[in-house]
Amino acid sequence: MITYLKLAWRNLWRNKKRTLISAASVFFAVILSLIMRSMQNGYYDYMINSSVRLYTGHIQVHGKDFWEKRSLEESMYFDETVIQKLKKNKNISQIIPRLETFSLISSGKVSKVVQVNGITPQIENDVTKLKDKLTDGEYLNENSDGILLTEGLAKLLGVQVGDSIILYGQGFHGVTAAAVIPVEGIVKFAIPDQNKSFTYLALNYSQQLFSAYDRITSLSILLKDADEIESTKTFLKNYFDNSYEIMDWAELSPELVQSIQVDNASGIIMLGILYVVIAFGIFGTIMMMTAERVKEFGILISIGMKKSKLAVVTILETIFISFIGVAAGALISIPILLYLVNHPIPLTGETADAILAWGFDPIIPFAFYPGMYFAQIWTVLAIAFVSALYPVNFIRKIKPSVALRG
Amino acid sequence: MKIIKPDWTREMSMKVWALEPDYALIYITSPARDKGTVTLKRKNEVWNWLPSAQKVIKIPPSMMLQSWMGSDFTNDDLVRESSVIKDYTHKIIGEEKIEGYDCYKIQLTPKPEAGVVWSKIITWIAKDLYLQPLVEYYDEENKVVKKFVGSDLKTMDGRKIFTHWEMVPTDKPGNKTVMDYTKIQFNIKIDESFFSEQNMKKIR
Repeated sequence: MITYLKLAWRNLWRNKKRTLISAASVFFAVILSLIMRSMQNGYYDYMINSSVRLYTGHIQVHGKDFWEKRSLEESMYFDETVIQKLKKNKNISQIIPRLETFSLISSGKVSKVVQVNGITPQIENDVTKLKDKLTDGEYLNENSDGILLTEGLAKLLGVQVGDSIILYGQGFHGVTAAAVIPVEGIVKFAIPDQNKSFTYLALNYSQQLFSAYDRITSLSILLKDADEIESTKTFLKNYFDNSYEIMDWAELSPELVQSIQVDNASGIIMLGILYVVIAFGIFGTIMMMTAERVKEFGILISIGMKKSKLAVVTILETIFISFIGVAAGALISIPILLYLVNHPIPLTGETADAILAWGFDPIIPFAFYPGMYFAQIWTVLAIAFVSALYPVNFIRKIKPSVALRG
Repeated sequence: MKIIKPDWTREMSMKVWALEPDYALIYITSPARDKGTVTLKRKNEVWNWLPSAQKVIKIPPSMMLQSWMGSDFTNDDLVRESSVIKDYTHKIIGEEKIEGYDCYKIQLTPKPEAGVVWSKIITWIAKDLYLQPLVEYYDEENKVVKKFVGSDLKTMDGRKIFTHWEMVPTDKPGNKTVMDYTKIQFNIKIDESFFSEQNMKKIR
């Protein structure tokens, strides 16, 4: 066996150029497929992360049935000690209490139903950067009794900072909630729907207004590491009893999960096409190499070399080439991918504006994790090994008389 | 009026002036938090006067199906009850005894052009009193969604009427809204101008 290996190895370096060309085809195959998959996964991770940060959090805790009914009747009791206790879990990085309800907003002749978000201004800003969206007026503080309106809504009502609006809705247990509230600030949201229907009050004030003292409708939880969702969910289920519901982001935004699944399916098809191209590239180089060695094979067989031995040697050669290519590709792609992960490709022009309008950064993000990395390497190796069968077949059918005449 | 939910109840008292079928004005007298709130119904529109905001608000169509003051009545119920005559075709489908009263059983089927949420309403009318001890509201799947039950026959202002009413949503066990009439006057002198925005603010 050692002899075979030696022979194969020496064969490779008898013709350096040939070896390098075929190794290069494998090398680029690895790099290309890795970058492509990394881009797809990066995009999904980025979507999930943005949506988790901006809207849902990784995990939310509500009173039972709140998610379905969305009424204050399903709100839950809340005090600061809950935060202290939950923060003991090392995976939890942020805990965001909110009191979300719907109510009628009115100014002059215009009335509209809006979502009223009772927030802890400080925490909310740490997470969703609400303060950066302020276009006019002041951000809320814990004791504010003013309201933040979204820009589209303020236009619709014809109010500015300093004017007052009327909120009129139902509080906890059906009590009337009505108040005249000064407009403290205007925030601008990128998504048109939200920009017409979101309002913010300080949590304390909204609890008073809706007679929901010490109550919140949801506790959003952000994790340090998204992989810890399941374990944290278990932790929370042990902490809260059955009168609560605990949902992760995938349950909270099924439409995001679905769009990622659809996109991923098309991504896998694209990857498949790339593999076919790669396979033909690798197969093509091996075919050419075999073709140009026909005379060499002919001579070897004429002077008594067994076809089977020759086949073994060529298989070993292909395996060597594949390994060289894959190893080089895998090594070189690590720094490339790491660079791309840390320096996503910025987008410009109209595309960038469109993406910005959705509240995301205009970048092409990349992701890099072992599972994806090895999957590409195995696939390319498999393609190379399958291509190695071609010279075997070629040698099996070779007729020295024909081969020698070239 | 008493609103009963599985885990809480709330009681309210109110005064109501009504000019059937188009006009009604409801003034809340207790609890303190809601006192002074006025609901005005004019034909198909509902207005609320909010003393805390010193402002009249027209309820937009999107809020019509929300509950009124947390009860099992919707804003739409306040408005819709009036069109029971115009929006439905009526048919006597039998006779039954309900709560000891001999009743005609009448089915109301909405006319195609009527914008109503019920697929049908079945009402029982007591033959001798012309009172309604039971009404059932059906949804599009022909299931009973809520029952409106009258009882406690008393004579008030010279007429025999049911003074205890219960609105029971059948799909939400443990929920109901109960109304008791404490005093009622019929045929009082009142005209349409009474049901105005200005009057909402003045009424006590």
